[in-house]
Amino acid sequence: MRLIDEMSGIMQMRSWRWAMVAVAATAILSVGCKPAGEAGGTTPAANPTAEAGGTPTAAVRPAVTAKGNEAAGDTIKLGIVGSMGGDLRPWGVDSVDGAKLAVKEFNELGGLNGKKVELLVEDSNSRPEQGKSAAEKLIQDGAIGVMGEVASGITIQIAQSAFDKGIPVVAIGATRDDISDVGNNFFRVCYTDSFQGPVMAKFAFDELSLKNIALMTDKSQPYSTGLSDSFRKKFEALGGTIADEQFYQSKETQFGGQLTNLKAKNPDGIFLSGYFTEVGQIARQAREAGIKATFLGGDGWDSQKLLTIGGDAILGGFFCNHYNNTEARPEVKSFMDKWSKEYGNTPGTTMGALGYDAATLMLDALKRATAANSAALIVALEDTTDFKSVTGSITLKGRNGNPAKRALVVEVKKPTGQVARKSYEFDQVMQ
Amino acid sequence: MEFGSIALASLDFGTLPQQLVNGLLLGAIYALVALGYTMVYGVLRLINFAHGEVFMLGAYAALFVSWRLGFSEAGLVSNPNLASSALNLVLMLLVSMTTGAIVGVLIEFFAYRPLRNEPRIAALITAIGVSLLLQYGGALILPNSPQPSIDERINPYRSAVVLQLKGADAHFEGDIQQAQGKYDIAKTAFDTALTREKAQFGIDSEFDLRDQSPRKTVQAAESDLKRLQSEKESSEVRVVIPQGQLIMLITSLGLMLILRWLVMKTKVGRNMRAVAHDFDTASLMGINVNRVISFTFFIGSALAGAGAMMNATFLGTPLDTFYGVKLGVKAFVAAVLGGIGNIPGAVLGGLVMGVAETLVVWAGYSSYRDAIALVILIVVLLFRPGGLLGSSKVEKV
Repeated sequence: MRLIDEMSGIMQMRSWRWAMVAVAATAILSVGCKPAGEAGGTTPAANPTAEAGGTPTAAVRPAVTAKGNEAAGDTIKLGIVGSMGGDLRPWGVDSVDGAKLAVKEFNELGGLNGKKVELLVEDSNSRPEQGKSAAEKLIQDGAIGVMGEVASGITIQIAQSAFDKGIPVVAIGATRDDISDVGNNFFRVCYTDSFQGPVMAKFAFDELSLKNIALMTDKSQPYSTGLSDSFRKKFEALGGTIADEQFYQSKETQFGGQLTNLKAKNPDGIFLSGYFTEVGQIARQAREAGIKATFLGGDGWDSQKLLTIGGDAILGGFFCNHYNNTEARPEVKSFMDKWSKEYGNTPGTTMGALGYDAATLMLDALKRATAANSAALIVALEDTTDFKSVTGSITLKGRNGNPAKRALVVEVKKPTGQVARKSYEFDQVMQ
Repeated sequence: MEFGSIALASLDFGTLPQQLVNGLLLGAIYALVALGYTMVYGVLRLINFAHGEVFMLGAYAALFVSWRLGFSEAGLVSNPNLASSALNLVLMLLVSMTTGAIVGVLIEFFAYRPLRNEPRIAALITAIGVSLLLQYGGALILPNSPQPSIDERINPYRSAVVLQLKGADAHFEGDIQQAQGKYDIAKTAFDTALTREKAQFGIDSEFDLRDQSPRKTVQAAESDLKRLQSEKESSEVRVVIPQGQLIMLITSLGLMLILRWLVMKTKVGRNMRAVAHDFDTASLMGINVNRVISFTFFIGSALAGAGAMMNATFLGTPLDTFYGVKLGVKAFVAAVLGGIGNIPGAVLGGLVMGVAETLVVWAGYSSYRDAIALVILIVVLLFRPGGLLGSSKVEKV
C-alpha cells in the first residue's frame, strides 16, 4: 500500500514535469509565431504620427489646461535637462554647452527688452526617472520653458511632467515619433525616426544601387525597432527587397549567430538601426565572417567612438545625421566660430548644434510671444515658420511639434569620422 | 518579415556547422566565467554575485595595459603605424588574470571572511552589496563615459581561418569571372568620368557627378559581383573562425585543462576538494581552510580576468562598470545548468548554453535567444534539479 502510494506520487510528479515542459514549449511556439512587427512592441496603429512619417495628422493633440509659469522679477528663467552623467554624457554635455552658448549670446545682445534670461541646468544622469524629477525641479524653480533631452526615453517623461504643469518643452535629440502625442506643449528641433529611416532607404536604393538589404535590430531599444520598421517600409515601397531581419539586445558582444544567418541570405547592404556601441562590434564581426555588404544606419551611429569600436570594418558605412561640422551653410559656419571661441574646440557630437538650436528657437519664440509666460510661449513656438537654425530650417506651425527638416547622409571616414555625402529635404523623401 | 513562416523545413542546414562553432566560441567564455561561480560555491556554498565585477575589473586592467603599450587614442594618433605582437596580448592576459585574482581574494578577505560563521544569507546579501559597490563606485573612478574600448590594432591576428567542408557549385567560377569582367569595364568608365568631371566642374565626390549613369552602371556591376561571390560562399559548407575568437577558444580550453590538473593532481587541489566535500572535517584534518578558500577565489577570479581580457580585446566591446552584469548572469545560469559546485559541469553548462543560444538564433528566433536559453535551464532543472552533472541527493540532517 505504502509502496503504491509512493509510486503514484512519483508518477504524478513525472507527469507534472512533462506538463511544465509542454506549457513551456507552447509558450515558445506561440510567442515565436507572432509577426516580428508585433513582437517588436511597436504598435503603429496606436501611433498615428509614425504612420504618417512625422507629418501633421488630423488628430489634434491634447491641449494643456494648467496655467504654467510666469516670469517674475528682472530675469526670465528657462530650464534645460541634460545627461551630465551616465551613458549619454557625451551628448548631454554638448547639448547643455550649446544651450548655454545661445543664452549667453542672447543676453549679450540685450536680452528681452533689457530683461536677462537665466538658464537653469538639471542633470538627468541618463535615466528617465531622474529626467522626470529634474524637469519637475526646473518647473518648480520657475522655468517658463524647458529644453531637453537627447534621448527619447527621458524626453517622454519630461514632456509628460511639463504637460501636467502647462510648460512648453523643446526636445533636442529625441527622434522617436510618438513623443509628440503627449500634448500641444511638445516641440522638437530634430527630425523623427519615421524620416531618417526613409532617408537611408532612399539613399541606399537611389545612390548606392542596393536592392537587397538585411536589417539588424536592437530589440531592447524602441529607437532601433522603430527605425528598422520605417526603413523597411520605404525600401520596399521603392522596390527593394528586405532579405532578412535579425535581432540582438544592447550589451550583447557576440553576434556570430545572427551574422551567419544574414550571410546565407547574400544581402548587398545591412541596415544597423541600433547604437554605435553594438554597431561597431557587429561591423567588425561581420567583416571577419566574410560579409562584404555595405553598412547603413541612423543617427545612433553618431559618435567618435564608432571608429574606435568598429575599426577598419565600419569605414565606408553610411548613416543619417542632423548636420555636419564641415557644411558650407552660413548658419553652420557662424555656429562653429562661436563655439570654438567659447569652448576652444569643435562640438564632438551633433547635440552641440541641436542644443544651441533648441535654445535659439525657445529664445526666438520668447521674443515673438505676447507675454513672458508659458502659455504665450507655447503659442509662439507653435507659430514658428522657417526659423533658420544651424541644423536646417524649422517650421512648427501646424506640424504637431515635428519640424519638416532636412537630413544629411554622411559616410564614415577617417580621420574625422564623418564626411557629408548628400542632404535630403523633407519633401524629397516623404510624399 | 514573416516571422512565423520560418518553419522547420526552411532551416538552413548549410550554416549549421558554422553555427555550432559560433555556439562553442560563445560558450567557452560562459564556461570560463561559470567556473568562478561554481568553484566558490563548491567550497563555501556561497553564490559570489561580485564575480561579474571581477570580470569587469579584469577588462579594465586589459584596457589600461593596452593604453600603456601605446594603443590609446592619443598614442595611436601620434604613432598610427604602431605594430603589435603576440607578446602584448600575453602581457594583457597576465595582467588581467592577476588583477582579477587579487580583486577576488580581496573581496573574499574583506567581505566574506568576517561573515564566515554568520548565517549564509548574510554573506549572500553582502555579495550583492559588493557587486553594487564595485559597479557604482567603479563608475566614479574608472573611465566610462564615453565608453572606452580596446583598439583592434593591438591584436595582430585579425584575419579568419576558413575550413571548407563542401566545395562551391562549379557554375559560379564562370559567372564570377564574367561579372568581374563587366565590373572592370564599368569601373574604368566610371573612373574616367569622375576624373573628367573633377577637372571640368570641380566636384568633390562621386555623389555630385552631373552624369550619374557611369556610377549607376559600376554600382550595379559591383553588387552583381559581390552577390555572386556571396552566393558562391553560401553554396559551400564552410566554417569561418576569426583568429581572435579561435585564440579565445584555445586559451579558454587550455586554462580549463590547467584548472583540471590543479584540482585533481596537486596537493592544494586535493585540499580544495576536501574542503568542498566537508568543510569542518577538512579543517580538523589539518587543512588550512582559509588558505584554500583564498586560493579558490584566486583561481576562479583569474579565470574571469582571462575571459574579460579576451572578450574586451578580440570583440572590442566598449567598457563600462556594468560590463560584467549580463555575462555574469549568463555564466551563473551556465554554472547552475551544469550543476553548481561541479567543475566539469560548469564547462559543460557554458558550452550547452552557448550552443543552445546560437541554435535558437539559427532557427530564426534571434529575439528570443535569452528567453529560450533560460527555458532550457528550467526544463533541465525540472528533471535534474542538481544540474546536468550535479548530484541531486538530499542532504541528511
